[in-house]
Amino acid sequence: MDAWIELARGPLFRIALAALLIGLVYRLGTAAAQVILAWRRAGDRQLPLRSVATATLSWLLPVRLLRQRPLYGIASLVFHVGIIALPLFVAGHVALLQQSLPVVWPQLPSGVADVLSVVAFLALAAILVGRLAVRPTRALTRFQDVAVLALLLLLVGLGFLAAHPELSPFPARTLLLLHILAGDLALALTPMTKIAHCIVYPFTQLVFELAWHFPADSGRHVAVALGKEGEPV
Amino acid sequence: MAIQCSYYLEPVDTTDLPRRFLDAFAAVLAHSSYAMVLDAASHVSARCGRCASTCPVYQASDDPRDIPCLRSELVLKVYRRYFTPRGALATRLGPGFELDEAYINTMAEEMYRCTACRRCKLECPMGIDHGLITHLGRWLLAEVGIIPKALRVATREQLEGKTNNTSAIPAAALIDTCEFLEEDCVDTHGFKIRFPIDQQDAEYIFFPAVSDYLLEPDTLMGNAAVMTATNASWTIGTRYFDGINYGLFYSDRMLDRIVNMEVQELKRLNARTVLIGECGHASRSAKAFIRTFCGGDRAPEVINCMEYALRMLNEGRLELRKNAIDARVTYHDPCNIARSGWIIEQPREILRHIASDFVDMTPHGRENYCCGGGGGTVSIDEIRSFRTHIGGATKAEQIRRTGATIVVSPCANCKKQLREVCEDNNLEHVQVVGLHDLILQAIVVPAAMRVDPQSDAASATASP
Repeated sequence: MDAWIELARGPLFRIALAALLIGLVYRLGTAAAQVILAWRRAGDRQLPLRSVATATLSWLLPVRLLRQRPLYGIASLVFHVGIIALPLFVAGHVALLQQSLPVVWPQLPSGVADVLSVVAFLALAAILVGRLAVRPTRALTRFQDVAVLALLLLLVGLGFLAAHPELSPFPARTLLLLHILAGDLALALTPMTKIAHCIVYPFTQLVFELAWHFPADSGRHVAVALGKEGEPV
Repeated sequence: MAIQCSYYLEPVDTTDLPRRFLDAFAAVLAHSSYAMVLDAASHVSARCGRCASTCPVYQASDDPRDIPCLRSELVLKVYRRYFTPRGALATRLGPGFELDEAYINTMAEEMYRCTACRRCKLECPMGIDHGLITHLGRWLLAEVGIIPKALRVATREQLEGKTNNTSAIPAAALIDTCEFLEEDCVDTHGFKIRFPIDQQDAEYIFFPAVSDYLLEPDTLMGNAAVMTATNASWTIGTRYFDGINYGLFYSDRMLDRIVNMEVQELKRLNARTVLIGECGHASRSAKAFIRTFCGGDRAPEVINCMEYALRMLNEGRLELRKNAIDARVTYHDPCNIARSGWIIEQPREILRHIASDFVDMTPHGRENYCCGGGGGTVSIDEIRSFRTHIGGATKAEQIRRTGATIVVSPCANCKKQLREVCEDNNLEHVQVVGLHDLILQAIVVPAAMRVDPQSDAASATASP
């Protein structure tokens, strides 16, 4: 079992991390290149950057999130706080990090980490149930919407149980192995799924504002490409 | 198979339709920045459903096909399948989605159930602009000949007809109408106004929604009263005088051509500033896209007539009677000028000055609800029931809750739609007017505009 755990948190973790970094750099690079190209082609380069920045920042604050569908907003907020704080600041993760890098890194007290794990787990479960129970979100749900939530649910749940094996009938090492494998999978899938918004988010408001600033000659070029110059309306 | 929609179409050539649609898609992607939009939407959409909770069409219809995210998916699915490596790979791995006529027909129907009000963008945490994706979807459809007949016929007359305007008003009839309005203002309101025609070197060249010349005499008299009272240098060109731009609703190619017509007329008369009348989409088309298609920073400035009126009021060059309007008044924000935050407070400042009982709808301003006829759908008479009972249902309730008997709606399209919404939703007692209709009643007439300068009776105010 220990060999499997070493494989999961050694080579597999490094492969997952590489997939994450390469994927995110690709996403970020593509988004940045598209923004620069669109801006250079735009007939009107005057952008309302202040309102773009305000819109981008306002969604990072919980106030906006809670205005419509407040229960969903609270669950979403708690889940996001948990999913960012737990991997970075749980004592076990920090210890692993410090084995590789001699850095000073803050860590959550175990009581706080436990509460956060449970609350994040419940929030994730609530989001999953809500998604499938409410008509519009059920209609919108794709495979990845359920799969990503289920994977994260598993990840957080297994992490908690791995830290508290006395609460589970399964062996602690098995829980730890499954937790690490779920974590590896989540990292590797991040650039390929909607979790990519964790890196592309700062660009999205800008993208949709800039996109209304069309290239000055786009229409004429499209007409030429389609052989429609001079064609009646 | 013929394309069938709930709106009228001119005959559509369905020969090899999917291939022609994909050719158009490829051409648009090659020469525009839409790929950036489609990539971003594909990668970050959380499918959280917030857009559903803010869309007035979905709220009224309760039909999943009206959820903005799902409408956008119609375009995104084609994009991912045919224009991304992932789509190419999926095709090699097995049978997947294939674009066919039925799918294009579905797109044709769904894209025109959206009023393009862009309210959903405000509530999308990722800022996805489903209005923009619908805008693209409509352009792609237009390139294969799928355009609501009402929009296409009007645009054809505007760009290629004898009259160069969407209402097919000949220049001679425009001049007659302006002369009639000048006389009517004297007869009805007791003061003189001027509609300067083809003046060279004016500061402002005026483009209202051309339908105002047929349907909104009080709005136009109000516009002319403000310009005359402030001694403005302005003109109306006879070669091109239409602010309407249906290109905004279905084709960037047409949008480009139409704003260029405005600028050509400005150059012909050597005017300096484009002044748009009371029309939301005409204002946005000119404000945003004259810069885009006509020279960027070198393009002429564009202002809306309400901005002009408020500036004159604040500078003391326009005098309006305080509390001249007794009835309860509310204000409808046209999406095309309010969603971006451009024109929200300007008309309200004027209304708070001239109306003693002004009440706002909830919500309003940037977060207003669409009248239900946005995105050009108001011109499609055959879908009136959908517009007034689905698209306009929320707006009807908003109006009802204010208790107002006058709704000020500074937009030709919103006015037509709101009148139909009121008729179809038991709000017949509500009058829908333009802001300048009320300004016409409240204006304090300068001596130079009085019919009889010596007459005290006519000097103080215009008669309501």
